[in-house]
Amino acid sequence: MAEKLSWTELRKALATRAGVSEKTAGVFLSALTAQLTEGLRGDKQVKINGLGTFKLQAVAPRKSVNVSTGEEIVIEGYNKVVFSPEAGVKELVEKQPTVSSMATDPIEGDFPVDPIKKLGEQADEIVGLLADLGQDPNKAEKVEEEPVTTPEPEPVVVEEPEPVIVAEPEPVVVEEPEPVVVAEPEPVVVAEPIKEEKPKEPKKPKKYHFVRDLLICVVVLLLLLVGGYFLIRNKLSGWLESLMQPQPQQTEQVEEAVVEPVETEEPASLESLIPEGEIPQKQILDEFMAISNDTEMEEAPYSDLITTEEMHEGSRLTWMAKRFYGDKRFWPYLYDANRDRIVNPSNIEVGTPIRVPRLTQEQMDTTNHASMEVLDKLRIEAEAACKK
Amino acid sequence: MLTKDLIGLIAEASGLSKKDAEQLLSTMNAIVREYLMAGKAIQLQGLGVLEIKERASRVIVHPRTGERTTIPSKNQLVFRPVANMKDELKNA
Repeated sequence: MAEKLSWTELRKALATRAGVSEKTAGVFLSALTAQLTEGLRGDKQVKINGLGTFKLQAVAPRKSVNVSTGEEIVIEGYNKVVFSPEAGVKELVEKQPTVSSMATDPIEGDFPVDPIKKLGEQADEIVGLLADLGQDPNKAEKVEEEPVTTPEPEPVVVEEPEPVIVAEPEPVVVEEPEPVVVAEPEPVVVAEPIKEEKPKEPKKPKKYHFVRDLLICVVVLLLLLVGGYFLIRNKLSGWLESLMQPQPQQTEQVEEAVVEPVETEEPASLESLIPEGEIPQKQILDEFMAISNDTEMEEAPYSDLITTEEMHEGSRLTWMAKRFYGDKRFWPYLYDANRDRIVNPSNIEVGTPIRVPRLTQEQMDTTNHASMEVLDKLRIEAEAACKK
Repeated sequence: MLTKDLIGLIAEASGLSKKDAEQLLSTMNAIVREYLMAGKAIQLQGLGVLEIKERASRVIVHPRTGERTTIPSKNQLVFRPVANMKDELKNA
């Protein structure tokens, strides 16, 4: 209880309210307390209409144990004063949310009153906003229709900035200044009096429209960019792979090109490209080889397997990596070693046998820049596969 | 003892008319209610304090279904008698 209505305050309030002197009020109150005590002693109960009942309640004697000696003792019965409020008063007290929070946290005691108001205001605001949004399309149409009727397209453009400024203070300030301010620019710009009603309303929604449209545009653009980026990267990586794969064959094929008549189309096309001629092209391809060698050299030793484990319900590549390699960061190697079986690394079918390759010290060395780069590349590839 | 009796006794003790006493009593009740509604405690000198206390929320378990429900906290109007009065009436 933070605040208390003191005896003197009560006396003063009583005196002013009842229109009697403070002295009379004091006399009355002391008589009241005296009689209350007397009444409790005599009748054990004093009822005050409009407030409640003071009662003297008997507490029965009970047995207890002396804690230090273990002796049984009897705590004698006594009377205690209780007050049971009248139904109306009780309800009134129970209704208060303030005190319950005050009791738990005195600091927040003041808040519960405000939030209720705030919530109410918020509700109003939301309703208002919803109403605005709901009317949006209609108003927008109206706005679009108006310029058609009037030959001048200008008014629309001019209206935008001005009303926006006017529209903002509108809800805050009283409605009265609104027509005055709005009326001024309108006669100048638009001659028709009918418009006065319509433009007033669309102003706000219009502003919303622009902001919303802008936002939508930005989001869509971003999405497109991201999508395009991934598409291009996928294509590039696919192209690189297709370039890399045939190359080891190509060196052989150059020597014994005619011996192998059964070939896939890709190497054939490459073959045709390279012999045809240009050395620079070959050089470029060789460079590609050199770059890709890193990955291929490390992809090869996957033949050395620790074990092959079946994918079970709830398992993850990262967890397997953690189990076998001690670090979940190495999961892309698992994906790399099982590309033929894994379509989507984040959603592998239960029962898929996963080859767990033995990794070299180099590959597991997180301080090794080259191997980490390779790992990073694999991870990006694997993550791209996740999104397919 | 009912309100009527109390008013009679107060009037007798204070020298006020019964009507005045009744009016004062009802006015006092109104004031007390107002302050209680504002979350204030009321001190009644020589008697005690009328104050609002919170009963903490608690969880109850349905004995048959084992279902748990929370009973929210609520306010309760309690009377805390002055020590003097408490002792006086203890063995009344």
